[in-house]
Amino acid sequence: MMNTMSSALSGWGLWIALVGACLGTYFCRAIGVLLSNSINQDSEIFRWLAAVTYAMVAALTVRLIVMPLGLMATVPLWIRILICVLAMGVMVSKSTKRLVPALLIGTLLMVGYGVIR
Amino acid sequence: MSSAEQPYIDPSEIALEGSAAERFKSPNDAFWTGIRDAAGAPAMVLFAGMVGFGAMGKTNGFDVWFTTFTSFFMFALPGQVVLLEMAITGSSVIAIALAVTLTSTRFITMTVTLFPQFHQKDRNRSLYASVHLLAMTAWAISMREFHAIETRHRLAYFVGLGLLCWLISIPGTILGFYLAGMVPPAVTLGLVFINPLFFLLTFTEVKPWINRIALILGCIFGPIFFFVDRDTSLLTSGLVAGTLAYFIDRQFLRKKAGVIG
Repeated sequence: MMNTMSSALSGWGLWIALVGACLGTYFCRAIGVLLSNSINQDSEIFRWLAAVTYAMVAALTVRLIVMPLGLMATVPLWIRILICVLAMGVMVSKSTKRLVPALLIGTLLMVGYGVIR
Repeated sequence: MSSAEQPYIDPSEIALEGSAAERFKSPNDAFWTGIRDAAGAPAMVLFAGMVGFGAMGKTNGFDVWFTTFTSFFMFALPGQVVLLEMAITGSSVIAIALAVTLTSTRFITMTVTLFPQFHQKDRNRSLYASVHLLAMTAWAISMREFHAIETRHRLAYFVGLGLLCWLISIPGTILGFYLAGMVPPAVTLGLVFINPLFFLLTFTEVKPWINRIALILGCIFGPIFFFVDRDTSLLTSGLVAGTLAYFIDRQFLRKKAGVIG
């Protein structure tokens, strides 16, 4: 299970993808500096971009939890979902910031499952 | 805001005008306060995310250089995870670069909201270097604290904050990478689970309805597009679900009173 890069990008392609990803990320930061003098943050294009970003991160999260690769795929789906639901429960149980306890409980539950299986 | 957030309110906010001008004696003082403010819960969560990312790199067969380089040069967890996921499934270089760039567009909005708050004399070319330190953690803290900090000390404070967050992400990634190889599989399982769980938990803190709808639609379209074409599915589901959310907001929600657009 440790090396699952069967259909993966490899060699130079992988590093070119990394360079492209780094440049793209820095480009967005630099564009922000350039525009910070002149643009209104409530403009339509930003609302659309924010929505696209959230949708993409949501799709990524669902993929990582429901259709994972490698080690996580050995955990039954219902266990993964159950732990997510429990951690979300901790998160919304109080209106205060609960990120650290919720993250800790979810992670420990996953470790706990790994120990007892 | 609410009393629930009381612990986060700095005492200096109470007599705003007077104390804001006096909060820091020098840029040096502001810089170190920034570092101190980052150390604690914000840095711990970020560090955990980076440890999880390092473990993810290891379990998927990437080498330690590649995994660490992404933390050093990208310093944007969602983009880094997208890069790994798409590289594993063998997506094309163009699709990867495009998808990662799209996840990073949030930095444009973050910069546009934060950087105009710096003092005029600080707003020069050097900001193109400082902006690399910008990520969700430093942005959220700065947005909260800046109104209680004198403008000429804001940049130093921000750099202290961002620098610590950036610097701990490198050892975090390396630690996660090597831990995943040494600890029992049960612990590795926990490490790999940190990031998806972290993303999921932060969704509950998203307030504007347009973004909430985008999140829900992304959860629905993600798996659908995954079965249509796995390699481009993040890109297509993001674009389709995001655009749909945008139009739903524009057509129906924005005109309603009481709904925050």
